[in-house]
Amino acid sequence: MTGAAGQQRPEPGDDHEERDTGLARERTALSWTRTAIAFGALGGTVLKVNVVSGLIILAMAPVIWQLGRVSRGNPLGTDLPALGATRLFFITVSIVAVAVICLAIAIFGQSVPGALR
Amino acid sequence: MSRSRWLAALLPRAVAQDSGGTEPDARFTFANERTFLAWSRTALALVVAGLGIVQLLPPFPGVPVGRHLLGVPLIVLGAVLAVTAYAEWVRNQQALRRGEPLPRSVLPWILAATVTGTAIIAAVVLLISAAR
Repeated sequence: MTGAAGQQRPEPGDDHEERDTGLARERTALSWTRTAIAFGALGGTVLKVNVVSGLIILAMAPVIWQLGRVSRGNPLGTDLPALGATRLFFITVSIVAVAVICLAIAIFGQSVPGALR
Repeated sequence: MSRSRWLAALLPRAVAQDSGGTEPDARFTFANERTFLAWSRTALALVVAGLGIVQLLPPFPGVPVGRHLLGVPLIVLGAVLAVTAYAEWVRNQQALRRGEPLPRSVLPWILAATVTGTAIIAAVVLLISAAR
């Protein structure tokens, strides 16, 4: 198997330890946690300027953290593509929805310079 | 491929029904997922930066729309980045399944163009504001 630049991509070996996805799974779970924290941080910021929108975005944080638990709770690594597509599609739709909310606040909302002071 | 068919191919059901190739090593699948999540956080950072600029910065003297000129494109590009990241995740996953070379990513180009464009707009707004 070759990569985009033509170099050899390392093939997974037959050895069980080499095939163990433990650390990759852990890194992915942490990545989901960081994404949930990012949603929480954005929700906190929006909360300062629009309470309802901020609460909606804040409520997404535990949902995303929960979605990330699917990665952690599937030790065999089966059914990843189908589950991944649904979860990742949800994340994408959430970010677009958050962007639309923020765009509406940015255009129509009352600005509060120095609100984070 | 028309735009509607391209969008339909990105829906989770269409991705799940794609039976071409074989299931890649789980570590590659996880790495692809982490890359998508990293780009999603970058998209969120752009959105929060845009909102912060519009809502929290004091107005630029002499440039009443300066904050919107800087913030609104960042928010829009955040949404664009999120959708593109998902499309690239689907393409990468399909390439992994078929054992094909990974497609070239356009996301770094979009991000570089966004940062450069924002920096130029910020410099222009600041110069106009300082001159008045």
